[in-house]
Order: sequence, then C-alpha cells, then structure tokens
Amino acid sequence: MKKNLYRLSILMGVLFLITPLAAAQETIKIGAAFALSGSIAVYGEGFKKAVDLAVEEINAAGGLRGKKIEIIYEDNKSTPKDCVTAVRKLIAVDKVPIIFGPAGSSNFMAVAPVAQESKVVMISAQGAAPGLTKAGEYIFRVFPSDVLQGKGISDLCISLGYMEVPVMYVNNDWGLGLKNVFVENFKKAGGKVTDEIPYDDGKTDYRTELIRATKGSPKATVNLTYITSGSVMFKQAYEMGIKTQWICGSAAKAPKLVELAGKAVEGIIGTYPVFSQETKEYKTFRASWKKKYGDEKVPIFGEYNYDMVFITAKAIEKGGYTSDGIRRALFEVGKGYRGVTGDKTFDQDRGVGSEYGVWTVRDGQIVDYKK
Amino acid sequence: MPFLFQSILNGVLAGCIYALFAMGLTLIYGVLNFVNFAHGELIMWGAYFLYLVMEKPISLPLPFALAFSLFLTALLGTGMDRFVFRPLRHANPLTLLIAALGLSFLLRNGAQFFWGAEIRTYGFEIKRGFRFLEISITLNQIMIIFVTVVCISFVYLLFHRSRLGKSMRAVSDNLELARVVGIDSKRAIRFAWVIASILAGVGGILLALDTNLQPGMGLINLVKAFAATLLGGPGNLWGALWGGILIGLAENLGVLVISPGYKDAIAFGIMVFMLLIRPSVLFRRQE
Amino acid sequence: MDLFLHLCIMIAIYIIFALSLNLEVGYTGLFNFGHVAFFGIGAYTSALLTLHRVPFELSLLLALAMACLWGFLLSLPSLRLRGDYFGIATLGFGEIIRMVFQNEVWLTKGPMGLPGIPKPTLFSYRFATLHLYLSLVLAFTILTFLILRVILRSPFGRVLKAIREDEIAAATLGKNVLRFRIKSFVIGSLFAGLAGALWAHYTTFISPGDFTLLETILVLLIVVLGGKGTEWGPVLGAIVLIFFQESLRFLRLPAEWTRHLAPLQQMIFGGLLILLMIFRPEGLIREKGKILNAGDKGDQ
Repeated sequence: MKKNLYRLSILMGVLFLITPLAAAQETIKIGAAFALSGSIAVYGEGFKKAVDLAVEEINAAGGLRGKKIEIIYEDNKSTPKDCVTAVRKLIAVDKVPIIFGPAGSSNFMAVAPVAQESKVVMISAQGAAPGLTKAGEYIFRVFPSDVLQGKGISDLCISLGYMEVPVMYVNNDWGLGLKNVFVENFKKAGGKVTDEIPYDDGKTDYRTELIRATKGSPKATVNLTYITSGSVMFKQAYEMGIKTQWICGSAAKAPKLVELAGKAVEGIIGTYPVFSQETKEYKTFRASWKKKYGDEKVPIFGEYNYDMVFITAKAIEKGGYTSDGIRRALFEVGKGYRGVTGDKTFDQDRGVGSEYGVWTVRDGQIVDYKK
Repeated sequence: MPFLFQSILNGVLAGCIYALFAMGLTLIYGVLNFVNFAHGELIMWGAYFLYLVMEKPISLPLPFALAFSLFLTALLGTGMDRFVFRPLRHANPLTLLIAALGLSFLLRNGAQFFWGAEIRTYGFEIKRGFRFLEISITLNQIMIIFVTVVCISFVYLLFHRSRLGKSMRAVSDNLELARVVGIDSKRAIRFAWVIASILAGVGGILLALDTNLQPGMGLINLVKAFAATLLGGPGNLWGALWGGILIGLAENLGVLVISPGYKDAIAFGIMVFMLLIRPSVLFRRQE
Repeated sequence: MDLFLHLCIMIAIYIIFALSLNLEVGYTGLFNFGHVAFFGIGAYTSALLTLHRVPFELSLLLALAMACLWGFLLSLPSLRLRGDYFGIATLGFGEIIRMVFQNEVWLTKGPMGLPGIPKPTLFSYRFATLHLYLSLVLAFTILTFLILRVILRSPFGRVLKAIREDEIAAATLGKNVLRFRIKSFVIGSLFAGLAGALWAHYTTFISPGDFTLLETILVLLIVVLGGKGTEWGPVLGAIVLIFFQESLRFLRLPAEWTRHLAPLQQMIFGGLLILLMIFRPEGLIREKGKILNAGDKGDQ
C-alpha cells in the first residue's frame, strides 16, 4: 500500500513536471478552454479546427514579431466546473495573457469572473447571451449579442405576416435568453405568442413537443434550435407530415443541419448576424479552409473563431504580449476591422454589433432569403 | 383529438425503443444480478458498427452489414463480460457499478476517439409517413414495432422453451447450485450476453435510424431503460417491455399538458409511484 | 500557485460532499443516487439569499436547514423501497430537483444561472481572496470531519453499520430501522448542503448544469475509491481522484494527436477505474472489522 502510494506520487510528480519542460521553446502562447470531450464536444472540435487554420496561416506568414503562435488547448469537458479548472490552469501554469473562451453562455459566465479577477483577457467567439461581457473590462466577444437577434426574429415574423406563432426553444441559456427577447419584441409589435415550449437538446424523440406546438396548425412556428436537436426535430416533423413555416435563429444555420436532415429542412427560414459571403475576406477564408480541410463543412461559429485569432494576433502585434496591452489594443485594432464575419469594432460593452439578415435552405443549400 | 391518437402512437414507439434497451438490460440483470451501467455504450456501439461496415472501405450491402454489425456487437458484449465482469463475478454491487461506469467512460470516449463528436447518419432518405386515419406513421416506425415484437417473442421462446434458456434461468436463480448440478454456467452466461448484445445492437440501430448517431446516444436513454427494467423486475422480459411502453406513453401524453421541460420527470414520477404501490418492492431486504 | 489553491479548495469541498455520502452509502448502506440534489439545494438557497442581501451567516444556516428539510421529505417515500429501487428512486428525485432548478425560471433564473454570488462575510470579515477562502473552507471541512467522526463512533454509528449488514437482526434487537435510516439520510443531506453552499460562494456563478447525475457519480467514485465506510476514506479519495483527474491534463501528446487527446484522457480514466475495481475494489483504505459477506471478494 505504501509502496503504491510512493509510486503514484512519483508518477504524478513526473507528469506535473513534464509540461514546463516541454514548453521551453520560445513561442507566443495563447490559451483556449474548449469543449473537447463531453456533451458539446462537437462545438469545441469545430472551433479548434478554425483556430488551427488561422494559427497555421499566421505562422506561415512569419508569425508574430518573429515568433510562432502556439495555442494551448485545455479541455473543459463541457461542464462549467471543469471550465473553471481549465481556465485556472491556463492562467496559473501556462501564464497566458489571453484565453479563447468556451462555448455555452453558462460555461463562459462561470469563468469570466476568474479571468477578470486575474486580469487575463478572455474572448468569446460564439456567446450570444446579453450579459456575457458584464464581468469586466477584460472580457470581450466577437459575436453579437442576441438582444439584436431577438428583435430580428420578431421583425421577420411580422414582415412575413405571421402574427400568431408558437415558440419552441432549447431549454438552456441561449434558447431561453433569445426566446425572452423575441417574445418581448413580438408582443410590443402586436404579435401573439400562442404557446411556449422548452425542450432539452440532444434528446431522441421530440414528436410530442412538435405535435403540441403545431396544434391548431399555425402558419409559422418559431423554433430556436441547435443542430443536434434540430436535425431530429425537423426530420420527425417531416415524417409526421407537419406543415408549418419554420423560423429559426442563427444556431441552426449550419450546413451540417442540412446534411443531417436533408429535405426535411428545405424551406426553413432563419435570422443570422449577417456577413456577406461575397467579400474578399470571406472568399480567402473559404479557399484556405478548402486547402487544409478539403470538403469538410465549416463548423458553426468557425468563421468567428477564425476572426478571433486574427484580431488577437493584431492586438498582440500592436499592444504587446501582455493582457493590458492586448486589452487596449483590441479596441484600436477592432475599429473598422473587416474580418470574415464583418466589422469587428468593439463597442463600450466590448461586444460587436451586427446587421441581421435572413437565411433559408433552398435546394439543399443555405442561401440568403429573398422574398 | 387526432393529436391524442398520434401521441399514443408516438408513446408506444418511444416505448418500444426503451423496451428494447430494457430487455437487454434486464436479461443481464436477471442472469447475473447486476445492472450494467455500460449497456448504453453497447447500444451505441451497435449503431456505430453498422455505420462502420456500411461506409467505405468495407461497404457491405445492407443485410450482410446488419448481420456483421450484430456479430461485432455480440463480440463486444461477450468481451465486456470476459474482461471486466467475469473477474468481478462475486464482487459486491457497488464495485460492479463502478466497474461498469469505468467501462462506460472507456467505450463512450472510445467512440469519440474514432469518430469524433460530430453527429452522423446512415444516410437513408427521409420520407414522409403514411397517413392513416389522420395519424402518421413512417416505415421506420412500423419496423420498430415489428422488430420489437419479433425480438421479444424470440427471446421469450428462447428463455422458456430451450435448454439453453433453462440453464440461463437456473444460473440466474443460483449460480453455485447450477454449477453443482452440472449446468454449463459459462456457456449460459455467454449466451445471455450474446442475446443481450444483439438486443442492444438492434435497439441502437433502430434508434440511429429514427434520429442519428452520436457518442452519447446510449447514455441519454439509459436511465429510462433502467427505470423500465426495474419496473418490470429483474429478468422479467415482458415486464421490461410493458415498463418501457408505459414510460413512453406517459412521457408523450404528459408532455401534451405539462411543460416539456419536465418530460424526464414523468418517467421517474411514474416509476416511483408504481414502485410505492407494489408490495413486493417495498422494504424487505433479501440477502 | 493559484491553480494549486483552486484545487485545494475544490478538494476540501469535495471532502465534505464525500463525507456526507459516505455516511449514507458507506455506513448505512443507502445507495443515494440523488445526493447532488442536496448539494444543489444548499448552493441555490445560499446563493439566492445572499443575492438578496441576506447576511451570509443567516443564508448558510438557512441553506443547511433547507437541505435537511428536503432530505427529510425525500427520505420518507424513498426509504420504503429496498436496495436497487431506493437507488433509482433517489436518482429520480435528484433529476427532478435538477429540472426544477432548470425550469422554475422565476426562482432560480433557470438555465441563465445566478451570476455574481457574493463572497462570504463572516462576522464582518470578508473572505475575498483565494487564500482566505481556502482557510474558510478548510475550517468547515475539519469541522465536518470531526462532527461526523463523533457521530460515527457513537452508538448511533454502530447501529447504522449493524443495519447495513443485517437489517433483520438489528430490528430484532429493537432498533427502529427506518428511524435510523431517516436520520442518517437527513444528516447526510445537511452536509451535502454545506458543501453546496461553500461551492456556490467560491465559483460565484451556478447554473442547473452544475448539479447533474455526473456529479453524484463523481462523489460516489471518491467514496468508493477512498474506501467506503471508513473515516479517512473520503478524504484520501477526494485528494487522489481530483489530483489524478487534473494531472491527466498534463499528459502531453504530439500535436497531431490533440484532437484525440481529450477523449483519450477520459478513456484512460475509465480504464483505470475498471482496473482498480478488479484489483483493489475496497479502495485505498480498508474498512476495519467488516463483517464478511459471501459476496465480498475484497476482504479475502
């Protein structure tokens, strides 16, 4: 027993020592606390691909101030608790001045105070919750807040003449937050919400939720869904012969959804923080992606993560490799910066704004919606 | 009104899936006296095996693919028993539970290791269901009901009419005594795992057809399968079937009235309620 | 250093959590799979109260009271069920309570969670830094350990063990088995609530996703790995498990493998659990004087 304990502690000691030794090279380290395992690992894996692509490009072009960028990934296991440990490890052990934050507003909000307290910059490339950057001046986001999207969805419904709709939504911080903003705006504009139906993401059977939502055959149904639940829901709705105009948010705007649900999602409409696919920046990005990943689909929020890396790189160039330097520089480099996802000027809440466009699925492709 | 019937149908369908999961679980529970927490992963791997053999480079045509994938699942199941559960045959239930938990972590992340966390599908075309008196039902769903019925009949006959079935029952009653009487317990146990694995594999494939493939797919429904198993009683296949269907129905009908946020609570609520009114289940410790 | 302090605080809180479960599972033989519910009740109560400006001392006491109360209420129906059924009934209640956290948005803000939970102030002394918080938590941990030790060494504790081993014999000796079980459950719930409250004030942000079945499984693992039914088992178990889980983070692989690293870490974790159960199921610390059952390979 004692011998085993000795062995165990030696092993742990060795493991703890390996990291600093391995990190002896001179690189510019940036931390990333992504979900690489657990329930939302599919997002973390996607972000990593986008981030890796951006880093590869920057390094190939000579790196930053002559040094290569290295991303230190820590798995947050898809839970807020492990997010905190991951972030703490990055701050305390790897001593990075900036961290790319986790997906999921509750995961991000759990670690924002930690980063803020330790005066480390943290950026989110996918957090849509309105209060995301409230924790302090070190917290940024390159993805627009849902306060705007909720209004966008409401405007879309009204403009298409749908005054009475049921709302279905994923029962988590994103879905609930967006639903609340939508309902508020919709009611103000004279619309009526006939039913509110929350559901859990990742379940295998939504048939009864669908039946309940489409009771009375509404002309349109708002469904604030993710890819996982959306793929199952739309498929099951199609099979049951439910006919209604589906109106979604940005989380469903993904080629993956079309791949999984096929013709079941033909014709669905949604809003999204718009960025044109015609810009030079976007086309360059697509070409680059294709070169590295071939025909793999761009993961959701991939473009935002890509932009996040580039804007971070610029901030480090300008402000130096310290968190205060980066923090100040972000405002400067953000002003008028045109990334793949559009203008990344930071406002006083350290978020970005956006126009909201409408997308739809036509002939198996996601395209902009034109009436 | 048609919504009610549709919900009932949906409930029965969901229940069939739970039932298939529960049947495998209860079989092992009956023969070996423990609840296999890694059963969800057996289900999941069953679904992924079919995906594996259908995709390039193996690309088997459907009937062969099905047979081969079920074979692989059975291999996995018997492997689980041979390497993890057999050494723990006489361990106490908590130990078995934790070993099964470890196995569950291992297998679930193993799937993610190979295939990534991305959702996948078999790629079959999505079709509209048949409309029958205002109720819609798809081919997949008909198949689910059909397969469930076939499975349970087959397993029931096996258990109660065959010699192997008899030896499985003997083993479940009393392992030592069965051995003493000369019953080849090893063979009986292995057979139980094969059947349980095939049931799991079939369940997994049907589930993947109905929804899609992801590493966590077994885990999500596992707890409901547990509930159905316990509701029916250990080793009781019919019980597992009815338990599953009851839970499926309760969930689907319940969601029509209460907030779907509590959908899972229905399964538990029903189960606890049923348990509380059944005298055989109340406090009488058996050693 | 900060990481180390963070881990120590987590370990201390988990020790309290594990000690409380150990009382139920290890000593009384109750497989409570819903234990995280009381952790959550303690966390939410204390968080909500302090967010409404109720002083920490009072919030904490009320959090403990709520955990106790719900422990009592849930024990009544559950303890009428035997063994496995008790397990799944408590699992069910645990999940139901989590769903309440998630759906009753008016109370708990649902999935949005409760941000900005204030740091505790005890007798006008504010525990704002990591060092201070660690000392606060350690104080509670030591207190919990001592209180439970007194309870477990008392006649009450011995009866619990007797009930676990042979309920009928205990009943014949005139012990009201149900009463003892309820008491054990309630005490366990109280300390789980304490752990929850301490945790809420540490992380300053809680959401329903923090209180899932996975948490109960984690603390169950700690109890079993450390050695259930022993005094120091949960302590050692928490230290080893958390250090081990986090040290897996430091397992570095060549860059091309990084996509696979995270699931690989989890796979190693699962594999080690299996090996541990096969080769050393009784955990790190063996229970003394355990009455041998035919089904216990561990004591051979």
